[in-house]
Amino acid sequence: MEEELHALVKQAESGQNAVSTRAELADFKATFVGPNGSLTTVSKGIGKLPNDQKPVFGKKINEVKQRLEGIFSSIQDKIEAVEFEARMGPAVDPSLPVAESQPGTEHPLTQAREQIIGIFRQIGFTVVEGPELETEFFCFDALNTPASHPARDMQDTYYLPGDFRLHGEQKRDDESFILRPHTSAVQIRTMAKRKPPVRILSPGRCFRRDTVDATHSANFHQVEGLYVDREVNIRDLKAVLDHFVQELFGSDTRTRFRPSFFPFTEPSFEMDVQSTNLGKLSGRWIEILGCGMVDPNVFSHVGYDAEEVSGYAFGMGVERIAMILHGIDDIRHFYQNDLRFLQQFKSV
Amino acid sequence: MKVSLSWLRRYIELDKSPDEIEEALNLSGLEVEGAKTLGLPQLENVVVGEVVSREQHPNADRLSVCEVTTGSEDNHNIVCGAQNFQPGDRVPVALPGAVLPGNFKIKKSKLRGVKSEGMMCSARELNLGEDHSGLLVLADKPEIGTPINEVFPEGETVFDLAVTPNRPDALSIIGIARELAALFSLKIKKPELKDASAAGSGASPFLDSVEVEDPGFCPLYTAFSIQGVKMGPSPEWLRKDLEAIGLRPINNVVDITNWVLMETGQPLHAFDASKLRGRCIKVRMATENEKITTLDEKERILSADMGVIADAERPLVVAGVMGSVDAEVDENTTDIVLESAWFKPESVRLTSRRLGLSSDSSYRFERHVDPDGVVYAARRAIDLILEIAGGTLVGEPSVSGEPPAGTDPISCEPAFFNKTLGFDVKSADIRQILESLGLSIEENGSQWTVNVPTFRPDIDRPIDLVEEFLRIHGTHNIPASPVQVSGLHAQDDAIAIFGGRAGKYLSANGFNECNIYSTRPGEEVETLFGAKYAEALKLANPLASDQTHLRPSLIPGLLEALHLNQAHGNDPLRLFEKGRVHHVLDGEVVEMISIGFILLQEPLQRHWQDTAPNDFFSAKKVSIEIARLAGTDPDTLVFEALESTLWQPGHSASAGSVKDGCLVECGLLDHKRIADLDIKGTILAGTCCFTAETLRKVASQPGFQPISDFPHANRDLALVMDAKIPAGQVLAEIRKAANEACPDEFDAQEISIFDVYQGEGLPENHKSIAFAISFRSMERTLKEKEVNQAFETITRAMTENTPYDLRS
Repeated sequence: MEEELHALVKQAESGQNAVSTRAELADFKATFVGPNGSLTTVSKGIGKLPNDQKPVFGKKINEVKQRLEGIFSSIQDKIEAVEFEARMGPAVDPSLPVAESQPGTEHPLTQAREQIIGIFRQIGFTVVEGPELETEFFCFDALNTPASHPARDMQDTYYLPGDFRLHGEQKRDDESFILRPHTSAVQIRTMAKRKPPVRILSPGRCFRRDTVDATHSANFHQVEGLYVDREVNIRDLKAVLDHFVQELFGSDTRTRFRPSFFPFTEPSFEMDVQSTNLGKLSGRWIEILGCGMVDPNVFSHVGYDAEEVSGYAFGMGVERIAMILHGIDDIRHFYQNDLRFLQQFKSV
Repeated sequence: MKVSLSWLRRYIELDKSPDEIEEALNLSGLEVEGAKTLGLPQLENVVVGEVVSREQHPNADRLSVCEVTTGSEDNHNIVCGAQNFQPGDRVPVALPGAVLPGNFKIKKSKLRGVKSEGMMCSARELNLGEDHSGLLVLADKPEIGTPINEVFPEGETVFDLAVTPNRPDALSIIGIARELAALFSLKIKKPELKDASAAGSGASPFLDSVEVEDPGFCPLYTAFSIQGVKMGPSPEWLRKDLEAIGLRPINNVVDITNWVLMETGQPLHAFDASKLRGRCIKVRMATENEKITTLDEKERILSADMGVIADAERPLVVAGVMGSVDAEVDENTTDIVLESAWFKPESVRLTSRRLGLSSDSSYRFERHVDPDGVVYAARRAIDLILEIAGGTLVGEPSVSGEPPAGTDPISCEPAFFNKTLGFDVKSADIRQILESLGLSIEENGSQWTVNVPTFRPDIDRPIDLVEEFLRIHGTHNIPASPVQVSGLHAQDDAIAIFGGRAGKYLSANGFNECNIYSTRPGEEVETLFGAKYAEALKLANPLASDQTHLRPSLIPGLLEALHLNQAHGNDPLRLFEKGRVHHVLDGEVVEMISIGFILLQEPLQRHWQDTAPNDFFSAKKVSIEIARLAGTDPDTLVFEALESTLWQPGHSASAGSVKDGCLVECGLLDHKRIADLDIKGTILAGTCCFTAETLRKVASQPGFQPISDFPHANRDLALVMDAKIPAGQVLAEIRKAANEACPDEFDAQEISIFDVYQGEGLPENHKSIAFAISFRSMERTLKEKEVNQAFETITRAMTENTPYDLRS
């Protein structure tokens, strides 16, 4: 009997390589452990053995059974591996391009906006948003720009008709709704709601009734900032803006303040920068933003006490910053959305 | 505002270079937009030389080789191409190291094999004129070796200044001289008036009265009568001054009024007295539709809120803006009435805008001229007229009204300067600077009373004084310092957070972000969104005909971007934009924050590998992800078939509404429209619009729900129904039935659709939907029996008295 068992294992070992399908495996198994299989037949002989030999033989049978199971399972693995490879096909050429190889991109204006905001966020500014459809009060009157001011000219601002009705906004007197010419209105809305201290950025799209050319766009984007607290002074303003441009253009960036005029700040400045990292613009003074100390008249419109608090404000064009950062020579690229342009600003 | 250096030097001894002046003006708030130098600039190494000898160049017919002395030990060998000179002539010589206009650097060189140690110059090469036909031979033989700048007077430099609207005082040469005097610590000499211009004897023979109808419009009007002038061309100096700043000389009287306007900033007007009808001047408002032909020879139609200067019969000047042809001085004029007045700035501005007519006069009146300068300017002009054109002042000047008062004195403490500046400055320095600008200070202990001259209407508060101080003190003196930050309780606005997340999600999924104008053509708005939208969203004053309306959707703009890209040979697959859109609700316009995207069903360009085409569900997937980022639970969005001009029926859907503050639309765009737009491919799209309130709704922190440790039991339910019934409706009903069917110990909330079938084996226009229902208990393993019981209850609820049959 032992010889039979021995032969049986040998037969299984030598026969396993010939088995390559699941059906063959079933047949192969049956020849050993099926109802008429050789191991089944040998096992039946156990009854004829003397009792004292039965356990020894039983153990042997079990050992053989395990050997066979091991063989069956390795055949099973082999078959599965072959089937999987067939299903997966031949090895890939990993150098072939993927089907949708165009990377998604955020617009360079979005990236520039985030870059600007990111720097100010580090020093405690948070973002506020407001509507693009605004009222004359929030865009002009509250910003110390009276009706006779040239900035309120119909020439430069898009107006909505007199009977225009905006959800959630009441008109004051006979004012008009307009497309906001700057994002300062958001600062007014924020101050009207929050008590000082206030440290905010208001980014967003603005509109100017302007003929489009390489440097002018009728839609454009701004980021404006405002800080109001006790004892905010001109030196603080310079400190924050120096920090900003050095983060943006490099630590060797120099700045200068040119006194200027805006109705909502007093004193007002234009800030120029000079840097060595700006390609063709390196070493030149470039106008980068407008800024100043919040005019006390502005505080009076939002119920702040100008004797108690002071503040600074600044504003910059996102297009201009993006053009300087990337050396873009024509503002119209931003609004044409040619993929060959957009893809140059892949997020990395 | 243009200003020439030589004119400025009439009032201040300015020895700074044009570059220094430009920088100083720029950094004090008077922006120099351009600086132009005419004539000889300051040149190094260009001196007078004498030609000692002239020989033919051995290798070039047109060149000569010259020996030139400039007084130094060695003579210079210079190769020259000019023909108009001979030995003994003196000429300008540019020696090596010189830099001629146009950044032309002179170096030692070799010309056709002969060394050349400099260059003899033509007039053009030195910016002295246009002549380039030969050398500039110096006929009056200046000393050899004299620097060329000593031979020719200095050139003229003209600065073009961009004066901000708060600085009317800088709209005059004297005003700018005053500024420079403060910046460079110089004394300013204002021209002295002569006694002759104060008043004439007798009465005016041609002006009896001046009447001012509305002193609010014209608080001060003065008129001077000058008899017996001789018209003619202006003297050279006056012509040159005007020409340098771009004004055309006309005749002596007109030129003098223009020159004094520029000098003082006070506009003047000279009438030909013989053309005044009725011997009177009336300052009145125009009558409605009154006509006047202004000096630019255009007829203007006036309205009743515009001021005019008239005689007894007709308007002669649009007050403060421009005179008419009717009373103009000309070559035959002998008697003049000279007007100097102060008009209300807002009125002049309004008139100027309404007529579309701006002049040097209106520009100044609308910005506020110096009330105390009205008479000064008139007398200054009279002094010059009498000197240049002759004549005599006759009669007392006719004066109506008083100069408007200037600003009140300002009280402040010197400490306020330090507090606002953030650094310490000496009060003596503040005082010195303010005084240099014409302000005066009365000190009373720590309190200052600052008197402001009438030419500075912009200064009326302590903060304005700080600005004046800092401008002149120099902003470069603001010390650098580190940023000091205190923490504040504030978060970014939800709109910004949403925009950032949506942009990141879309770009990470292969979408390219676009920026498209917010205004669209009215025709498009009307076609796609109807007449109600087109009426409500139009601008009052559009500029371009295709930018007349606010946009109600981002899709048309994205299609335009797609079209442009396809026309450029690009094949964009996915585009998106973040932006504001405007919807109309109950006659009111609602601004919404929107994300729009488009994606092609399949790429146009061939690729080695096929990918599954996009369909409605690709667009829906993106839309609901965006809704999720906006804080809207996608399960609350009920998508229903969409009927719209923009979308393809049967392959598009919408959820939510403008009223709900959340509107989602997605699916296939109308294929005919896409084809009409000349866009290739089949386009899927989506838009998600949210009101600010929706986005700002504060999301509660998710509360933890315990999860079951026990296995779940699945049952499948297939229902047959009319093909038109939306799956979402059936799913909602099953959820409800399952909720009711399960006892407290377990539930069946995980229900999913795993098959939708229509076709063979089912009645026509019917479909089958198969649901997998998963039962689970928090407390124990479920028994087969109780699951079956619950499942049967659900099945009964779904099939008895419902439009659904159990699929057999």
